[in-house]
Amino acid sequence: MSIADASNSKPPLSVRLRGQLGGYGFLLPWLLGFVVLTLGPAVSSFYLSLTDFGLMGSAKWIGAENYVRIASDDPRFWTAMKVTFTFVLLSVPLKLVFALAIAVALNKGLRGLTIFRAIFYLPSLIGGSVAIAVLWRQVFSGDGVLNQVLSALFGYEGPSWISNPSTSLYTLVLLAAWQFGSSMIIFLAGLRQIPTDMYEAASIDGASRRRQFIKITLPLLTPVIFFNAVILTIDAFKAFTSAFVVSDGSGGPIDSTLFYTLYLYQEAFTNFRFGYASALAWVLVVIIAFFTALSFMSAKYWVHYDD
Amino acid sequence: MTDTAHLPSAVEADSTPDGDKHSPMKRALIYALLTAVSFIMLYPLLWMVSSSFKPENEIFATTSLIPQEFTLDAYRRGWNGLSVSFGHMFLNSLLISVLVVVGNLISCSMAAYAFTRLQFKGRGFWFALMLGTLMMPQHAVLIPQYLMFLKFGWVNTIMPLVVPKFFAIDAFFIFLMVQFFRGIPRELDEAAIMDGAGPLRIFLKVILPLSTPVMATAAVFSFIWTWDDFFAPLIYLNDIEKYTAQLGLRTFVDATAQSDWGALLAMSTLTVLPIFILFLLFQRLLIEGIATTGMKR
Amino acid sequence: MTTVALKQIQKRYGAVEVIRGVDLQISSGELVVFVGPSGCGKSTLLRMIAGLEPISGGELAIGGARMNEKAASERGIAMVFQSYALYPHMSVYKNMSFGLETLRMPKPEIDKRVRKAAEVLQITQLLERKPKQLSGGQRQRVAIGRAIVRDPKIFLFDEPLSNLDAELRVQTRVEIAKLHADIGATMIYVTHDQVEAMTLADRIVVLRAGKIEQHGTPLEIYNKPVNRFVAGFIGSPKMNFLDVSVIERRDDGVVISLAGAKVVVPLVDRTGAGATLNLGVRPEHIKVNGAGSVHLGVLTITHIEHLGGQTIVYGRLADKQTLIVAMEGQTLLGTGETLNVSIAPEHCHLFDAEGRRLAD
Ligand SMILES: Nc1ncnc2c1ncn2[C@@H]1O[C@H](COP(=O)(O)OP(=O)(O)OP(=O)(O)O)[C@@H](O)[C@H]1O
Ligand SMILES: [Mg+2]
Repeated sequence: MSIADASNSKPPLSVRLRGQLGGYGFLLPWLLGFVVLTLGPAVSSFYLSLTDFGLMGSAKWIGAENYVRIASDDPRFWTAMKVTFTFVLLSVPLKLVFALAIAVALNKGLRGLTIFRAIFYLPSLIGGSVAIAVLWRQVFSGDGVLNQVLSALFGYEGPSWISNPSTSLYTLVLLAAWQFGSSMIIFLAGLRQIPTDMYEAASIDGASRRRQFIKITLPLLTPVIFFNAVILTIDAFKAFTSAFVVSDGSGGPIDSTLFYTLYLYQEAFTNFRFGYASALAWVLVVIIAFFTALSFMSAKYWVHYDD
Repeated sequence: MTDTAHLPSAVEADSTPDGDKHSPMKRALIYALLTAVSFIMLYPLLWMVSSSFKPENEIFATTSLIPQEFTLDAYRRGWNGLSVSFGHMFLNSLLISVLVVVGNLISCSMAAYAFTRLQFKGRGFWFALMLGTLMMPQHAVLIPQYLMFLKFGWVNTIMPLVVPKFFAIDAFFIFLMVQFFRGIPRELDEAAIMDGAGPLRIFLKVILPLSTPVMATAAVFSFIWTWDDFFAPLIYLNDIEKYTAQLGLRTFVDATAQSDWGALLAMSTLTVLPIFILFLLFQRLLIEGIATTGMKR
Repeated sequence: MTTVALKQIQKRYGAVEVIRGVDLQISSGELVVFVGPSGCGKSTLLRMIAGLEPISGGELAIGGARMNEKAASERGIAMVFQSYALYPHMSVYKNMSFGLETLRMPKPEIDKRVRKAAEVLQITQLLERKPKQLSGGQRQRVAIGRAIVRDPKIFLFDEPLSNLDAELRVQTRVEIAKLHADIGATMIYVTHDQVEAMTLADRIVVLRAGKIEQHGTPLEIYNKPVNRFVAGFIGSPKMNFLDVSVIERRDDGVVISLAGAKVVVPLVDRTGAGATLNLGVRPEHIKVNGAGSVHLGVLTITHIEHLGGQTIVYGRLADKQTLIVAMEGQTLLGTGETLNVSIAPEHCHLFDAEGRRLAD
């Protein structure tokens, strides 16, 4: 290739610039937002995590001290970790199982699919709101609906599930599981992608329905399961509103619903320990990143891709 | 090929992959099961609504979903239960939500258009970064953002809740629109290019008019999530006159000291009502939006 | 009316060279047809001329002016797409006026032009409809209408008829020819249908793998294909190729051995005895029962297709080489029967081992 040739192949600067300007012109709002509202704050929050910084005064550099304290000298951090992990490890599988089971049931070609689908989807649309948390608080309180139903049906006088530290977290798990609808919709969409002739071929081969489910549906659905699992896990780590409302922002009773985000909120906006809270935030980011990476690494052992 | 835009339609309601092979018995069983599950799932919601119309002493006396005595008393008590009426807070919520919808639609569609239709250096790089922000928890940027808005004097105003949306901060919507724009045949752009149209004209006259479904989806999601949002208003809004309905409701929990469940449930019902109405109106759009992006919320 | 000149035009996608140095002069008002197998780069070449695809190398000139850097809209070109690419949300009228509005032409002028184009294309009654409410043929007309309202100097067509059924295709083909005659604009037309190419073109350009194999009038290409590829590509049914070897060189041509028999074929090009050649004979040129002077041998019929006006006979020569014969009219022959086939010497095409035509 001669030099003349190469220069020939490039339009002059003005023309190239015109194309670039169009692209960057439209991207500008996002780009500004990304730099000012995401990138900049991410960097500065990492810096803050290495300082002692409150509402008054300026940030004082203390190196890794915040992180050291988190790891070695902060029992509430470990409580929050335990609560959050329990919540994630219970709510995500529950949601997945419900979502998949209902999706498979709905995919049987029953009439009224749209109505059922709407009903199951509704809770995940409104489940994050304060109103639902308030409702939950009532349902699981001592004289709440659950206990009314239990005593009416079984004559069992239940405790106050919300204010009992050994059950309070599970009410929140249940609230999360109640919102399996959007995962279900994603599963339904995935199920519809599976070509019908696969089942026809399998039926001709004499495979039973159970076998078809295990040998065809599940493997072909693994990418969707994987995707849902990742998204749900990330979301579960970020859960906040329900715990806040149910516990009046305290994470109680006795820190039994102290979600990580709630602890983070308290440190930042109740105690105004911005430096320490930033360190907490980064620990959360790393945890989420770690779990996401772990899932992606595990994917090649169980997720089935066509190509 | 057709010359109409392909509207992504991952959810076709009534085609049935493996129907008809079940025995009537089994079908009936599945129906019964689904109905039971639906009822259990909806029961708390139905109970909330019905209790809001019951007199206070009836709420805990019976589990029945039909009020024996129908009253709007709880609504009256709740509406003015705080020093600022709920009406005021609903208006605050409405204002914020509408502005957020506008911001998201404008800024995210622009970004999605750039990512799908325009050629420029670094496009792939920025796109990857955008996808990265989809996964990133907001907590990482929360505190510096707060401090920044504090410095701007924006704390205790709606600015921190609204302004970022004009800068396409919700990558989810960019992603949603990218998915949709990709389904619009590129030849339409090329025909417009041959017709002498520039990027802006193509965006306004070709892409956007063909994108009403995804714009509607984004608008509805945007509205609902903003309406529902609790965390950001909690951090940024301090005065009760500035409160959103969600903040108001949460304050009301404290104010009633859990003694006036009727009023609390009435206000809860009211804050959910707009979402429920949108859900009824746009159910299909919402479900398709989730199915095509594979994103949950 | 304007000329188009391609000088060593190249297109690369990364390391892949898709168009490999195309030289072509198109004169004003000419209708040039690009043909070639799928993937040879016809669309790419057309899109580079249109300005939809950057040119990686070489020079494109329109009306004598270099165009490489000019935006599509500045080239005075209109393009008709294979899928029509009508704006689905606009009425037919709007589809046609969109480009004019982009030019900020005054409304009355736009209206005049749209109505005139609609009249020419007989779509006036469709102006208020949306593309969805049109048949394939009507959409095609609207697409052409959208092109002509702007009064461009050059029209580009990328397989504009491939979405139409056979009958409509013939009809629209005639209309495009008429359109060309009427407005006399320069047109470049891409197709892989060789009948379209033969019937429409002032000049055919045969492309293969990003290079021009041959260009010329339809009859030039048909009568004097420069190589085996072009010979096989143009003409239907495909030209037969028979392996032959040169036995003797004489002043008036060469003697070749064909199916054991010796045949004299006129040829001026130098080729020595012992060379292996390809004899190309078009099915429609093969004569049955001794009408032609070059005897090809005895053909055993293996299969017959009756087209009514024509009969296509598939068969084998004595040395097992297959041969296709297109006979005028109808026949009562059946498979297994034999035919004496021959051909006139001027219809023999000889190609060397590399597939190049040997001049006659
Ligand atoms: N964006 C691209 N990147 C890489 N290669 C491409 C691209 N676009 C086209 N090609 C390649 O360039 C070659 C020519 O493509 P082109 O579309 O011009 O073929 P064509 O002659 O129009 O074929 P058809 O008759 O099937 O339409 C093909 O081999 C194709 O794979
Ligand atoms: Mg092509």
